[in-house]
Amino acid sequence: MLSRVADSLYWLSRYLERAENLARLVDVNRHDTLDTSSASDSDEAWRPLLYATCTEDTFATAKEKQGASLEVGSFIMFSEHNPDSIRKCIAYARENARMVRDQISEEMWLELNRIHLFMQSSEAEYLWSRDPEALCREVIKFSLLFQGLTDATILHDDGWQFVQLSKFIERADKTSRILDILTYLKNPEKTELASVLRSCSGFSAFRAEFRGEITLPNVITFLLFSQSFPRSVRFCMRRLDSVLHSISGMPIGAFSNEAERLAGSVLAQLNFSSIDTVWEVGLHEYIDELQTRLNEIGQCVYETYVKVPSELQNVKPWDHSIMPWQQQQQQQ
Amino acid sequence: MMSDSMRLRIHHRTEYSYSSPVRDSVNEVRLRPAESRWQACEASFVTVLPACRISHYQDLNFNTVHHFEIARPHQKLVIDSRSTVMTREKVDFEKLPYGFLHKDLAKCQRLGECHPFLQDSTYVERTPEVWRLALDIQHDTDSEDVFETSYAIMEHIFRNYTYRAGATTVSTHANEVIANKTGVCQDFAHAMVAICRSIGIPARYVSGYFFDATRDHSLRGSEASHAWVEVYIDGSGWIGLDPTNNKVVDATYIVLATGRDYREVAPVIGSYFGAALSSLNVTVRVERLPDGPAASK
Amino acid sequence: MFEHYQKEDFFDEMFASDKGDAFDFYQPLKDRFGRLSPEEIAEKQRRVDHGFLEQGVTFTVYGEDSGTERIFPFDMIPRIIPDREWQTIEQGLTQRIIALNLFLHDIYHDERIIKDGVIPEDVVKSALHYRPEMVGVDVAKDIYIHICGSDLIRDGEGKYLVLEDNGRCPSGVSYLLENREMMKRAFPGVYRQSGVRPVDSYPELLLKTLQHLSPRSGMTPVCVLLTPGVYNSAYFEHTFLARKMGIEIVEGRDLIVIDGFVYMRTTLGLVQVDVIYRRLDDDFLDPRVFREDSTLGVPGLMEAYLRGNVSLANAVGTGVADDKVTYAYVPDMIRYYLDQDPILENVPTYLAWRDEDKSYILDNLENLVVKAANESGGYGMLMGPASTEEERSEFADRIRENPRNYIAQPVVSLSRHPTLCEDFAIEGRHVDLRPFVLYGEDIEIIPGGLTRVALKKGSLIVNSSQGGGSKDTWVLFQ
Repeated sequence: MLSRVADSLYWLSRYLERAENLARLVDVNRHDTLDTSSASDSDEAWRPLLYATCTEDTFATAKEKQGASLEVGSFIMFSEHNPDSIRKCIAYARENARMVRDQISEEMWLELNRIHLFMQSSEAEYLWSRDPEALCREVIKFSLLFQGLTDATILHDDGWQFVQLSKFIERADKTSRILDILTYLKNPEKTELASVLRSCSGFSAFRAEFRGEITLPNVITFLLFSQSFPRSVRFCMRRLDSVLHSISGMPIGAFSNEAERLAGSVLAQLNFSSIDTVWEVGLHEYIDELQTRLNEIGQCVYETYVKVPSELQNVKPWDHSIMPWQQQQQQQ
Repeated sequence: MMSDSMRLRIHHRTEYSYSSPVRDSVNEVRLRPAESRWQACEASFVTVLPACRISHYQDLNFNTVHHFEIARPHQKLVIDSRSTVMTREKVDFEKLPYGFLHKDLAKCQRLGECHPFLQDSTYVERTPEVWRLALDIQHDTDSEDVFETSYAIMEHIFRNYTYRAGATTVSTHANEVIANKTGVCQDFAHAMVAICRSIGIPARYVSGYFFDATRDHSLRGSEASHAWVEVYIDGSGWIGLDPTNNKVVDATYIVLATGRDYREVAPVIGSYFGAALSSLNVTVRVERLPDGPAASK
Repeated sequence: MFEHYQKEDFFDEMFASDKGDAFDFYQPLKDRFGRLSPEEIAEKQRRVDHGFLEQGVTFTVYGEDSGTERIFPFDMIPRIIPDREWQTIEQGLTQRIIALNLFLHDIYHDERIIKDGVIPEDVVKSALHYRPEMVGVDVAKDIYIHICGSDLIRDGEGKYLVLEDNGRCPSGVSYLLENREMMKRAFPGVYRQSGVRPVDSYPELLLKTLQHLSPRSGMTPVCVLLTPGVYNSAYFEHTFLARKMGIEIVEGRDLIVIDGFVYMRTTLGLVQVDVIYRRLDDDFLDPRVFREDSTLGVPGLMEAYLRGNVSLANAVGTGVADDKVTYAYVPDMIRYYLDQDPILENVPTYLAWRDEDKSYILDNLENLVVKAANESGGYGMLMGPASTEEERSEFADRIRENPRNYIAQPVVSLSRHPTLCEDFAIEGRHVDLRPFVLYGEDIEIIPGGLTRVALKKGSLIVNSSQGGGSKDTWVLFQ
């Protein structure tokens, strides 16, 4: 398939996954901070979230531009000055979808267009002011619906694989970032551990898998190493690895490009690590390393499938001497 | 079974390439399908590249001739002819045009329509050898009927001659063909014309195309411009016989031009100054167009 | 349904007179519609419109918010062309595309038609779309216009006339194909009964036409459709055709030129492209040669093209043939290159750059249609009889200033066709016909074409951008 199409599908899916994760983070955090009253307190309570999304500086700038009354929640949801606001993520996703309108199904387009128009409207802002939870739910619900439509209404060909690919990269990235909140909090309390789990929609899954106490090691183990929780980093990496192999046609375990090699090595590491490994390195460092790897994988995917490798620009890809000239061709 | 009318589309492309530029090329082409009771030319477009002015006239045999000149140097000449023709069955196979007897042939000599086709021409000569051959065939057939004899002459050629491209040239004489019994459709047609004329059967040379309707495309000459013979049968007119394929001409055949021999009907004939021809490429494609469901009922 | 139908003073496609006697080839259709109640018609129309929306058969309107997509209004009463009439059209268009191609070859090579004094040199060279870059270039198979959409109209006597030739990127064929699908669904009975020649082979024929141009032999040529992108008004058609042909639809940025060869960037690496069906005007093809500000094109494409490593359909420089002054000379071209009379005539045309024509035009502005030589889609036009004093004087100034750029034609009262109007009354509306000609190894014209209809009462403008709709066009076997 065309690289541009692959690229658009990749970003379409990645932005939607990002929007969904952000919406969940906002929802959970908002819920937890309901008790705090003053604006400055509120900012303080949202700080871990800014930390997790690496937007502390952006928020400060936005506050300068939009006024001190800007709340973190609406900053993440709508702000013009936040390149990763949910509104913008959805707009980018729609823009990418529009580029490949003929490659996605009508249903996918209609739903995406609908949420985009809604998010752009003042109606969304009104809903946010009145019932923020409802708005977050709306975004999450849309994302899940869209994933369902993607699975059910288009060919599961290379294009679909690229959709899966970016979804799992983004998801692994977000889960790891949410985990990183725990290093920010130093000694997280039980409620904070619970909200981290809820931020990953993992509360009940955690209960089912651990049946035990919500402790820091358990939460980390669950979010990093769970075999079956669909948002654990390990689960995402396993899927990512398999998608990469589906695209290249290489058998699992072998690799034909750098992205595959990196994904394979991250997965192997996760497969053979435990909470002890994490303690040895330090949680933040462990996550940092993981995120660097994820970025590299994204970059390698781009270089392998989208960008024209620079060396090709200078190489003669075709032997001109074996080209028949037009005139000769006519005479057959 | 063929239906008795057919819509056929022909694309005939001739491409000359020269090793170095040539100039003052003057050409005449006979590529427009003829009009007759059995053949209606719905459309015909004869064009030339390099693009130039083209003009047309009718020759003595009522064939349409296109004429053009290219003075400026050129290294390639393409003559393209596209036509759509509606053809009809000429011969009713239930009652073939029998009944015209040899003893009545004499009156053809006095018919303006036949006279030229009883004489010698550039590639055809009535020699004593040919005459004896014709008499032998007529004797073996043991028939007084002109059509039956003509059919036997066609069969004689088809059975005894070898079809081989390259054995002859564009200017091989009928006598040579009859002696060597080898050639291509042009040669077979010349031979048959000579044999017919030697015993007084008016015979003319036809250039054209045919659509190979056989399932295995076993007929010869469908991928090039083809040639066959028409003999004059009093009461029925000119009836076509194809010695290359041993066939009475039917609706699958398209007539371009008729004349005493190849020289008078050559599809493309021309001259130029300059380098030798480096290649000549001719493609002919004849396709049957759908007549629609009503016609095939 | 037809009791109150008024033929009036126009040539009517369906009725010979006001007494309601339909031409015999329209009879089955007339009977079928005659039996329908307005409710049934409304129901069918609703279903058809829904069908179009569902298929996404839309076009984008310029000058409105980006993303404004509309359905091209579709009228359910099909236009019927009997076989005999169609044969004339077919031959006339074949003759015309042959002559136009010879003309283009000539003006970019020996210029014989200019030297023989048939067409003045400055008419050719001053044409907006004349491309000096193409002089001396041998294009693949010597074909310039591979896909042509000529607009035909019928005058008061029902004679077919050519109104203009579109030899650049004619559009509309997707509507033709979709209209047929809808009609087959809405009226299967009368469709079958009428014996209509099918049109669904178009994508296949188009692909064959493109493949014929491939500079590489011995393998299946890689053909792509180059689109200006999703914001183009015909984007739907681009994706439609690409999908039907099974080829990639690419944008300029998907292509890259390396050492004079064109490649498309795919997830499997670079794939060499042989033939580009470009739905992009010359101006935008290659920012290195034409408009520098073009972000739609492919840098280096012209070089690859001139070296014969990639073929373009249509060729570069065909816009000369679209010029309305050139149009006036097409009958002369046919006589010159083919030594034949034109099978389809032109609408009589006055050329403002000829002094005697100019004064005639200026004296008769209120009776003429004045057109800019290089505009299409009904833009840059003055409809004399419907114009105001002010508009006429404005056009008179423009003509005096730049006579080369204007032509004028008498108002041809286009033929009319029964059309469903408000409240499902059937009234006569003006129509034209755009058949699509393909010139590859063979010259193929799919039976019929896109019949466009001016939905506004009395209007002669059929363009989709200006309130036009379309009809299915049936060419009958017999």
